[in-house]
Order: sequence, then C-alpha cells, then structure tokens
Amino acid sequence: MIDIYRVVSFVVFVGFMGCVGPAGFTAEPPTKAELEHGKKLYAAAGSCIACHMPDGKGQPNSIPPLAGSEWLNDTDRSIAISLRGLAGPVKVNGERFYSAMPPQLLFNDAELASILTYVNFAWGNDKQAGEIVTEAEVAKARAALPPEVYTPKTLLKAFPFKEKDIARRNGTYSFDVDDTELEFDTPVVYRTFMPGASPAAFAVALPGNQFYCWDAGESRLRYVWTKGGFIKGNKRHWSSNGKTVARFNGEPYYRARSSLVQAEDEELLTKTDNKLPIYDTTEAPDFPFELKGVDATSSRPRFLGYRLVDGYPVFRVGVGEHEIREQIRALTSEEGAGIERRFEVEPPVALTLKLTPDAKSKLNTSAGTIAADGSLALSAKQAAAFTVTILEREETPEPGPATEPAPAKTKGGAK
Amino acid sequence: MSIRFTTLVFSTLFASLFASVVCAGTSPVYTVEEIPMPPSKHQSMQIDGMDFMSDGRLAVCLPSGEVFLYEPATTNWQLFAEGLHNPLGLIAVSTNELVISQRPELTRVRDTDGDGKADDFEVVTDQFGMSGNYHEFHFTPVSDRAGGYYFALGTGSSGDGIRAIVRGKFEPRARPGRMHASTPYRGCIVHYSADGTTRPFAYGLRTPNGLGADLDGNLFVTDNQGDWVGSSKLFHVQDGHFYGHAASLVWKPGFKGEPLKTPANDLAKMRSRACVIFPHGTMANSPTKVIAIPPEAKVGPFTGQLLVGEMNKGRIIRVMLERVGGELQGACVPFFDGGELRTGCNRMAWAPDGSLYVGHSKHTWAGNEGLQRVHWNGEMPFEIQDMKLTEDGFRLRFTKPVDKAIAAKPATWPFNRYYYEYHVSYGSKPYDNGEVPVRSVTISEDGLEVTIALKELKAWYLHEVVVNGLKAADGTPLANDRIAYTLNRLLKDTPPEPLQTGK
Repeated sequence: MIDIYRVVSFVVFVGFMGCVGPAGFTAEPPTKAELEHGKKLYAAAGSCIACHMPDGKGQPNSIPPLAGSEWLNDTDRSIAISLRGLAGPVKVNGERFYSAMPPQLLFNDAELASILTYVNFAWGNDKQAGEIVTEAEVAKARAALPPEVYTPKTLLKAFPFKEKDIARRNGTYSFDVDDTELEFDTPVVYRTFMPGASPAAFAVALPGNQFYCWDAGESRLRYVWTKGGFIKGNKRHWSSNGKTVARFNGEPYYRARSSLVQAEDEELLTKTDNKLPIYDTTEAPDFPFELKGVDATSSRPRFLGYRLVDGYPVFRVGVGEHEIREQIRALTSEEGAGIERRFEVEPPVALTLKLTPDAKSKLNTSAGTIAADGSLALSAKQAAAFTVTILEREETPEPGPATEPAPAKTKGGAK
Repeated sequence: MSIRFTTLVFSTLFASLFASVVCAGTSPVYTVEEIPMPPSKHQSMQIDGMDFMSDGRLAVCLPSGEVFLYEPATTNWQLFAEGLHNPLGLIAVSTNELVISQRPELTRVRDTDGDGKADDFEVVTDQFGMSGNYHEFHFTPVSDRAGGYYFALGTGSSGDGIRAIVRGKFEPRARPGRMHASTPYRGCIVHYSADGTTRPFAYGLRTPNGLGADLDGNLFVTDNQGDWVGSSKLFHVQDGHFYGHAASLVWKPGFKGEPLKTPANDLAKMRSRACVIFPHGTMANSPTKVIAIPPEAKVGPFTGQLLVGEMNKGRIIRVMLERVGGELQGACVPFFDGGELRTGCNRMAWAPDGSLYVGHSKHTWAGNEGLQRVHWNGEMPFEIQDMKLTEDGFRLRFTKPVDKAIAAKPATWPFNRYYYEYHVSYGSKPYDNGEVPVRSVTISEDGLEVTIALKELKAWYLHEVVVNGLKAADGTPLANDRIAYTLNRLLKDTPPEPLQTGK
C-alpha cells in the first residue's frame, strides 16, 4: 500500500513535471533511476524512514514531516540539517515539534545528495523544494559547516527564511509551560536541574509561597526565594530530552555561600553547555556543618534521602556516625516572612553551623547566638533539636520594572 | 489533556490502519489491547519503568517523576510517589516498596505508614557522577539476587555540554568526544552490593537502555548504535569486561591512557564482543529493556529466551542464545511486530496472568506513548522457535511442522553474511556483505527441524536470512521471517578474532 502510494505520487509528479515544471526549477529534473536510488537510501537500514516514516509525514509532536515541509525551500539548509543534526523546538508549516535529529553520518556525500534529491521531489515537495542536490554541494558543506549540532536558532541564523509568511509558519517557538503557580496548599517536591546547584537538586514549593533549592550533591540548602512564584521549565525538562535547567522569576533572598564560585561565574551556573566545570562536588568546601570530633576531610557528608512529614521533605545527611535532619517550613511572623529550618542531630554532638549573612535576610535561631560571620556554635544538647529562621529583609519598595517578573527565557541550550 | 488524548487515539488509529495494509510480523494468535493511562497531574503519557508487585498490581514510573500503581482487576490507578528525576526503571520489592533508578540515585521508595503513598525516599546509592548533561540517563535496576542491584549509566552527549557544578570526580580525559563519560562510571554497568559498596562492574557502554537477566541470572544489556557502536547490540554483562565504547575506560582500574587517543586496534583487542548484534534498520535502531520469558509467561514455547524492546518500530524482538566456545551467542528475530503495537516499546513486564505489558515512551526520539498489553489466545503461532549453530550451518527449530516441499528448496534460505566495523565514527555500514550459498537442506521427520548446511561459515560475522515464502504444513505463513545469528565462534576451529576496525 505504501509502495502504491509512492508510485501514485511519483506518477502524479511525473505528470506534473510534464505539464508545467516546478517554480524556480532550472536544471534538468532528476531521472527516475536517480530518484529510485535516493528513495532506496531514504528507506535503507538506519536512515530517514525510521523517524520520518515511509510517507514522509513524521510523527505527531516529535518528528517533523518532510512531506510538504517549507523548511526544504533552501537546499543549503537541508544539507546543514542532515550533516550536523538539529535539536530543539521547531515549528514546521505551523505545527510544533520538539525533537533531536542526530547528524546523518552513515552516508557519504553522493549518498546524502541522492537522499536529499529524493526528498526534494517526493510527496509533492517539488513545489517548495524541487532542487537536485549535488555531491559537490554536500562535500563543500561537510568541510565548511561548524561542527556543532544546530539548534533551530543557530540554524535559522545561518539559513533564514526569506519570505515573511513562510517565516511566520516556520521557525522555533518558546515553551510557555510554566510551573510558577502562585498558591500552594501542600508542599511540592521536584527533583530537577536547578540553576546554581549540582545536577542532583531539589526544587521545593511550600505553602506560604516560600521556595527553595536543596542540593543533594552537596547535602545542603542552596537558596531560598519567594517573589515571582515557583520554577518554570521543569515540565519541559522531563517532557523533552532532559536538557532544560529550571528557572524562576525574582532573586533569592538567601543564598548559601559558594566559595568556589565567583560573582562573574554566576551566569555559568544556569548553563548546560560548559566545556569544563567550575568544580566538582568531591572538592566542594561549603558543607555548613562542622561536628566536634568528626574529621571533615575523611568524613564527607553523605546524602541519605528524605522522608515526607505532612508532605514536607525531611532531608537526611550522614556525617561520620551522626545523622543530621533538616525540615524547612514557611514562616510568617511579626518580623516578616521567610522560612524556618528545623534541625535534628542524632546522636547529638557539639557542632558549628555556618550560615551566610546577607543584606537581604535576617537570621535567627532557637539556641545559641549567630555570630557576625554567620557561624552558630551549639552544645550537643542544643544541637539535638534546634531551629534557624531566615526572614526576607523587607526593602523599601522601589517603583519600576524591578518588581516585575522577568520574561521567561528559553535558551534551549543555544549559545 | 484532550489534545494529548486525541494524539494517542490518532496514533493508535494510524497504527491500526498501517497494520491492515502492511504484512506485519505479529502472529494473529497475539492481540494487543490498550490499558488506560494513569491520571498524571502533568499529562505525562509515557512509561519509563514498570514491574508487577506480588499482589498483582503494576507499578509504573513516568517521565514526570510520578509513580502510579495499577490494579488490572478494577483498572484503578493510584498515585504512589511523585517528584522523582527522570526515573527510567523500577523494581517492585514488595507491595509497599519500590527500588527506582532516577537521574541522581538509585532510590528505595517506601510507604511506611500504610496510607498507600510513599513517604520515605532512601538513597540506595548515589556513588556515581552526573555532569548534568541531558544524555546521562540512569537506566533499569536489576536485582543481583543477594540484596544488591545492577544499573546502567548512559554517557553524556556532544549535543550539549556540562553543568558548571558536576557531581562526583571530574575526569577531563573522558570529556572530549561525541559521547563522554567525564564523571564516575558513565558508560558503565554499576554494581551496588548489599554490603554498601558501589563499583563499576562492566565498561564500554554508550546508551545502555535496558538491563535484564535471563532465567539463570546471567546479566544482559542492550546498547544503541552510535560512536563505537556499529549497530545496536546485546551484551552478556560480565565482571570487568569492556564492551567497546571508549569513554568509560577512564573508570577501569589500570587504564592510564586517553580514550580518544587510544588506537582503535588497541581498543578492539580489549573489547568483548556482543552476544547478539541487531542489524540496523531491519531489526532494531534503539533497543531497550531486556526481559526473560519465564515458564509462567503465556506467549508460546519460548521459555528461557529473551525479549528486547525497540523504540523505532512497534516491535519486540526475541533473542535465543547458546554457549559456543565458552561464550554466549545467538540469534534475534522480530516477535511482536507492528499491527496494534505502537513504537517506543521502552519497558516490558509480565503480568501474573502471563500476558505482557508494554510501556511506550519517546522523549524527543522516535517512539510513542501509552501502555499496552499483549495477550496470547493459546493457539500455536508459526514461528522460528530456536536457531542453533551446527558445524557447517544452522539448525532451525519451528513451532509447527514445516511444509517440507518449500523448506527443502535451497532458495527458501537466502543467507547473507557481513560484519559491522568497530570505529569512533557514528554507526557502521555492513562490510564484506555476501550471499552464502546453501549446500543442503535436511528436514527432520516430524517437520519441526530444518538443518541447513552452508557452503561457508565465517566466524565473527553476522549471518542473516529472510526466509523466503515458508509455510507450515497446515498452510500458516511464517509470522516473522527475518532472523540474524551473530556468529562469533564456530563449534570448532574458530579463527582468531579479527579487529574489524576502521576510522
């Protein structure tokens, strides 16, 4: 049936050629043998057909069609996609797709030219494509194109759509998926990629609109924020291939110290396309607890997991023979809004907790005194169960765009 | 929700239209039915892990990080846990405990207070690295039958870089390349032992989406075609072995070099061969989970063989192995193929009633959504039951007596042989492709076995045949006619393993 369909479309195409010939078509049309050869390669083991299907229609939501695709109206663009791949959100003839096409490296220049020629003439594509692709063109592109996989953005920068109406129907798009719900009546726990944390991060939303990032890679609270709602991009993170780092509007009012990260590195912390890391967690120096009698170098913190109590995660960290537990709840007091960190240490041991003083927050504790440098020294008895509160320091509200949520950025891994 | 649902219905419809016109491989004795999807808060419609609990409930995990339990008798779904990070496999330990492979950890997820929802998420092990590259998947835990687990760690992809903060020791030697392994044990099969230690168990994998064990406890894993992987493969996973993808060698004790600066010939001498190579395009492009066919399974006379899912086609492959020259090798044949079965066959689990549940996913690759169940009506399909090497050819056993007149013709058995090259570039073409003439065909008296002597058997080559027009004695056409035997070793006088390398 498929073959009949193809034959029919071919016959129609040949008939069409006989009558008028496609617009912009100057060279001799490909011979039937050439097209058959291309078709054979298209359908060969491991090639186009597996994803784009025998009828060239692709697959809903994920694999864009080749049949009728307006993206084919620039042969150089088609060659570039084939040679380097294309990953990210694309709009094809008005429909949205999200996928990652790998570079097609199984084919030599002549074979790829033959496949692209077939695609340019199959399924009525002679109308918008209709160009014979030559081996020389492919060879030239193979040598000249930058080595990276294209994103829709980088591809269209190099090979833009020239016609306005086609550019409207084709291109890339931004995800409007957003987890920035405004009110939470139960805690929400997501494990996902978060900016400014190791890849083993938690994003937690608390009733009372407090949000925090806890980093299982370093067994510690990273930052807390409240304005602008919870994270966005998490859904895109898991519904696509897992590249997206979540983002959030606004700024943390508490950010735990990261001694290995300089202020100018801040932007790198949201990126996924670094060549080298700034540091790895085996050399992370900022675990905030020092337990008396436990050597911090030989007894690195171990993330043990978490329990849910009324839906609130209670994080468990092992240090030597001790287990430190931390539960975080939203707190509203006369002094303002923020979080309460409830700690338990078992068996209890004298300890120092190093908090990070910041102009944006006020720190307080149920036991002991927080020193000017943020350190809190506790006896074993005090350490058994204690709380630390972090309240956002209310600033004088300034009129202007500072309080507006930043627009959603969807870089999608593009530089 | 409605859009997603429409898509699903559409693709189902599309698949069934397809089935009616294409001569699909699934024997008509098997039917595929839809299982309603769990009520995901996030409209997540893909299944990335599944296992049946001892009480007959099915546990599944979704890309959204949600875990649901399904009761087949009532078709009731219940949310068990949420918030996990790309879970890609789970084991039902008991009716209130699952062990789940998620990006950052192997995690024990338990309901300790009996309210039906998990409240304890305990790290079994997180003693492996994450560069934050999207492609660093954590696949499919398998019990070691001694309280520990094996799991598979994918490599990172050059489709993106890494995060500024990485978990675990960063190893710059394994950062370059198409697929990288710059943090511990990426590209390895990892063993977590009940004594609490975590160590790399086997090396050289690229995208090992699917560990599984056979009935004897042998461990197997699939790998996907790409750099160093000429065509997708099934490996018999053994302690300390290296399976070919170079990046993870940095995690192998004693390896001092740089993976990408090590000549392919040197790597080829270190590698262990696949026990089955899946011919690219015609058999599998992206093989997935491996599960054994237990005696309780109701699918026909295939106990002890393996099933392997495939993403790009609506296909589940059957694998039959034998030990030759001390190592496992064997053949693969499509089994459930096309028809109602959708693409993206990512996970499989046997229901207590012996039917097979198939979870579909795609992420951004070829594949599909939803949950299906394959059910056997008890009639014998006409299939190749088994394929065994002989001294000068192969012996095929069939599930029903063959039509002897057709089977006796040499033209029924057009064997081909070829090999895939071992090289750093993406995938390989078949090399040294050639027909292998049939010398003689012998059919057993009961018509169940056909022994084919070939003019030549070439060790370290795939031998593939698309059986031409064979019918059973009762006229049933052969359901699946393409079978490929990965001939590494001969029954005797195996020549030394050739390198079969290239650039």
